[in-house]
Amino acid sequence: MINSMLKMAGVALVLSTAGTANAQQYPVDTVTLITHSSPGGGSDVFLRELSGYLAPILGVNVVVENVRGGSGAAAMADMAQAPADGSRFYATTPTFIYTSLLSNPEYTYEDLEPLVNFFIDPEVIYTATDSPYQTLDDVIDAARAGRGVWGAANPASLERQALEQLKAVTGVEAGIVSHEGGGDLMINVLNGTLDIGVGEVQELQGQLEAGEIRLLATFSDARLDLFPDLPTVQELGYDVVVRKFRGLAGPQGIPDDVVAAWEAAVQQVLASPEYRAVYEPNNLRAAFIPHDEYVEFIDNFATETATFLRETGVIE
Amino acid sequence: MQSILSRDFVGGIAAIIIGTFYLSLAYDLRTSALDDIFGPGGMPRVYGWAMVLLGVTLCIVTVVSRWGKDTPGEWKGQGRRIAWAAGLLGIGIGYLLIVKSLGYLISMVLLIAATMIFQGERFSMRVLATALFGGALLWALFVFVLGVSMPPGLLTYLGL
Amino acid sequence: MDTILISAGYLLDYQIVLAALIGVTWGIIGGALPGISPSITMALLLPFTYTMEPTAAIVLLAATYVGAEYGGSVPAILIRTPGTNAAAATVLDGYEMNKQGKAGLALGISLYSGVLGSLFGLTMLVLLSKPLAAVALSFTPPAYFALGILGLSVIATLSGDSLIKGMIAAVLGLMVATIGTDPVTGGTRFTMGSSDLLGGIAPVMVMVGLFAMSELLAQASDRGPSERVKSRPRIEFPSLSLAKRLLRPQSIGGVIGTFEGVMPGAGGTIASFMSYNEARRWSKYPDEFGKGSPEGVAAPETANNAVAETALVPLLSFGIPGSNSTAILLGGFLIHGIVPGPMLFQRSGEIVYGLYAGLFTAAIGLLFIGMALLPLCIWIVNRPRAYLNAFIFALILSGIYSIHNSLFDLSIMLAAGVVGFLMRMLKFPFLPTVLGLVLGYLVESSFRRSLVISGDDYAIFLNDRISLALLCVSALFILGSIGKRIWDRIRHNEQKTFSEGTDG
Repeated sequence: MINSMLKMAGVALVLSTAGTANAQQYPVDTVTLITHSSPGGGSDVFLRELSGYLAPILGVNVVVENVRGGSGAAAMADMAQAPADGSRFYATTPTFIYTSLLSNPEYTYEDLEPLVNFFIDPEVIYTATDSPYQTLDDVIDAARAGRGVWGAANPASLERQALEQLKAVTGVEAGIVSHEGGGDLMINVLNGTLDIGVGEVQELQGQLEAGEIRLLATFSDARLDLFPDLPTVQELGYDVVVRKFRGLAGPQGIPDDVVAAWEAAVQQVLASPEYRAVYEPNNLRAAFIPHDEYVEFIDNFATETATFLRETGVIE
Repeated sequence: MQSILSRDFVGGIAAIIIGTFYLSLAYDLRTSALDDIFGPGGMPRVYGWAMVLLGVTLCIVTVVSRWGKDTPGEWKGQGRRIAWAAGLLGIGIGYLLIVKSLGYLISMVLLIAATMIFQGERFSMRVLATALFGGALLWALFVFVLGVSMPPGLLTYLGL
Repeated sequence: MDTILISAGYLLDYQIVLAALIGVTWGIIGGALPGISPSITMALLLPFTYTMEPTAAIVLLAATYVGAEYGGSVPAILIRTPGTNAAAATVLDGYEMNKQGKAGLALGISLYSGVLGSLFGLTMLVLLSKPLAAVALSFTPPAYFALGILGLSVIATLSGDSLIKGMIAAVLGLMVATIGTDPVTGGTRFTMGSSDLLGGIAPVMVMVGLFAMSELLAQASDRGPSERVKSRPRIEFPSLSLAKRLLRPQSIGGVIGTFEGVMPGAGGTIASFMSYNEARRWSKYPDEFGKGSPEGVAAPETANNAVAETALVPLLSFGIPGSNSTAILLGGFLIHGIVPGPMLFQRSGEIVYGLYAGLFTAAIGLLFIGMALLPLCIWIVNRPRAYLNAFIFALILSGIYSIHNSLFDLSIMLAAGVVGFLMRMLKFPFLPTVLGLVLGYLVESSFRRSLVISGDDYAIFLNDRISLALLCVSALFILGSIGKRIWDRIRHNEQKTFSEGTDG
C-alpha cells in the first residue's frame, strides 16, 4: 500500500540573503517548488536539499510543497493553472510523462512548459552477490538457454520500458515482473526470485556498500564516474539507452527574464562546490539542459514513450 | 409475492446486478502486450462471476427455505427509516456543495447546527453556541494544528 | 545483551525521552482522528525533524507511529469508527463493550494490550532482528499470495449467520480493490475516466463510510427515544482474573503481530484480523466474541502495536519500508544523511540504540499519556446523541478531506455510508468487505507476479514451501469453519450473529 497517498504541505522555508550574486532582480520573492512525491520520497529529498543552495543564488525564498495524488495528475493540474510569473514550478521526472500518457488526466505534460534540467539519474542493472551471474552477458545467455526473470520497480515505468527494450533487442525469453516500488523489487532480487533488477544507484546504496548486490551494467549513455569499471548496456552490444531526467516545468508562457534567471542560477548551483559535495556521492549526474533544448528533449522523450506504449498495446 | 421479497432475496438480486455490471466493465478492459496470462481483466472476471453465482445461490436458498412461509412486517417501517437517513445524507451533500464557496469554518458551523436540529434538538442558543464552538474547534485543530489547507471560502476576504 | 545495556544508557538522554513522549502524545491524537492515518500524523511532523538531532528526530517519528497505532482504537471503541485501518477488528467487540457501558474497561484493555504489544514487539526487534529479517527475505510472491488467502480465510469467522452473505460482502470489497491502476501493466481499470480514481480507493474512506457514516445514517433513521447506556468517565483496568484470561489473546496477538510486521506490505490490518480470529478459535469463551468480549479487544490491539515495532525490521536491516508509515520514517533517516540498511548497525549504531531506548520510553509513556487523555474522550461520547452525532459527522468530513484535500473523497465516503446503511438493512455483514478491500491488492498482484515469474506455471504455488504450507493451513481453516457450521446446523444450535443489522 506504499502508493496509497497522502497530501500535506511540507514547509521548508529557506530565507534568502540579500545582495546575491545575481545582478538581475527575480520578479517574485518566493518560489514554490511542488513535487508529487511524498515527504521523504526521492523527489522530495532532492528538492529540499536543492532549495537550500538555490535560494541565495536566485535571491528568493524557496519553499517545497507536496501535491500528491494520481501519480502526478494532481500536481500537473495545479501547475497548469498556476500563474506564469515564475513563482511556482513542478519538479518533473519521467513519471509525469507516463501518467499523462497512461491515465489521460485532465491536464497533461502538454499543458506545461519544461523549464530547465538539473540531473540525469543513472539506471543500473544489478543482481544478488550470491547469484551465478557475473556479467550482463551471463544473464542474457541464461535467458536464451531457458527463460529469464527480470524485475522492474513499477508497472508502467521507465525501468519496465528499458527491460522490455532489452528483451526485444536480444530476442530472449524473459518474464518481466513489476513491483510496488524499489524496496519490494530489492527483496525479490536478494532472495533469488529474480535474476536481475533495475534501479537508480542512490536507491541501492545501502545494499551496495554492504556487498549484498553486484552491479552488472548501466543504462546511461556513458560510464559513471563513481563506477568507471561498470560497462554501459550499449557498449555490451545491446542498443538501449535510458535517460531518467530530473528538472523543472512550469505553466505555459514562462517569461523570458525568469527563464534567463533560472538558466544562470542552475548552472551556478550545479557548479558550486558545496552542492557538488552533496549530490555527487549520491550518484546524481549533473546534466544541465537549457530551456530551448529541454523543451525539445521532453517532447522527444514523450514521443518515444508514447510510441513504446502504443506498440506494446498499453495505450491506444 | 410479498413472501418472496425477503431481505435475503433482495440482497441476492442486488449481488446479481452488481456482479453483472462489474462483469460488463471487466470484459471491456483493454488488452496490451505488457499483459500477463491473467491480464488486468482476469481477477475481475473471477470476482464478477463469483458475485453473480453467490447472488443466484442466495436467491435460491431464500426461496427454498421460505417457500410457503409468510413474513409479515419484514419491510414494515423501512420506507420511513430510509427517508430519515436520506435527510442526513442530504445535509452531508449540502455541505459538499457549499464548502468551496462559503469556506470550511462557516460550512462546519452550518453542518453541526443542521445535524443537531435534524436529530431532534430544538433550535436554541445552546445549539448555536455548540455549532459555533464546534466549528471553531475543528477549524483550529485541522487548519492550525494539523496544517490542512481547508477551503477558506468567504474568509479569504477577511484576510484569514 | 550488549544491545540492551548500551540502549539502556540512552534512557538518560533527555532529548530522546522528550522526543518519545511528544511523539506518543501526537500519535495518539492523530491516530484517534478518523481519516488521519499514522503515516499522515508522522508526515506532519517531518518538517520539524529537519533541524533536530538525528537520533531524536528518528525517535520522534517512530514514537508517533507507536502512539497512532494505539490511538486508532479509541474511536473504534467509542464511536464505532476505526481511527486507523489496523483498528478495524477492534470495532467488533470494543463498540459492543461500549454499548454495555463498559467503555472505560474496553479502553483500559486496549491501552494496556497496546503497551504489552509494543514491549513484546520491541523485545523481538532488539533480540531477533537477524532471524526476523531472514523471514522477511524468504517471502517470495507466491508466499505473499498464500498469506493473502490465509487472511481471506478469516471471512468465515466474520460472516455471521450466513456464509453466502459474508462471501458476497467480501467479493464486493475485492471488487473495490481492483479500481485504479493495474498492478502488472500499469493500465487503468474501472476508473470511468475519473483521474481522482487513478490511485484507487483508499481503504480508510470505505471503512469510515461503512462504519461511522452508516451508523450515523442508522441512528438518524431511528427516531425513537434513545436508550443509551452511559459509561463512567474513567478508564478501568481489568481485575486479576480477567487479566489472566487476557494473557492468551495477548500472546496470540503479539506473535501474529510480530510476524506480520516483518513482512513488507502485509501490515497491521491483516495482523489484527487474524489475531482476532485466532483468539476466538483458542478462547474458552468463543461465544462471547462479537458480543463484547474483552479478549476480542485485547488480541487485535496487542497485534497492531507489535506490528508498529517489528515493521522496523525490514527498514533497519534492508532499508526497505514495508508501509506508508515506515516510508516516512525512511525519509526521516535520509534527510539526516543516514542510509538504513545492512551497514546501519556498524556505521550509525548509536542511532539504532537511541531508537531502541526511545521506543521503550514510548511504550511506557503510552500507558501514562493514554490514561491522562482518555477520560476526556469518554466525556465526549457521553454527550447527548444529537450533539455527539453532529460532532462525529463534522469530524469525519474533516478527516477524510485532509487525506488528499479532495471533495471527491468525501463523496466516496458518503457513498460507502449509503452502501453500509443498505447492507445493514439487508443484514449483510460488512467486515468481510473491509477485509476484501484491504487484501484485494495483495492477493491479485502477488498471484499475477508469481505467474509471470513461473512462466504461467501454476505449480509455483505448490513448489514454494512457504506458499504450500500457508495454503494448507488456509484450507484447514476454511474446511474447519464450514464443518463447524454444518455440525451446528445439524445440532440446531443457534448461530450467533456478527452482522451489523439494524433492529426492526
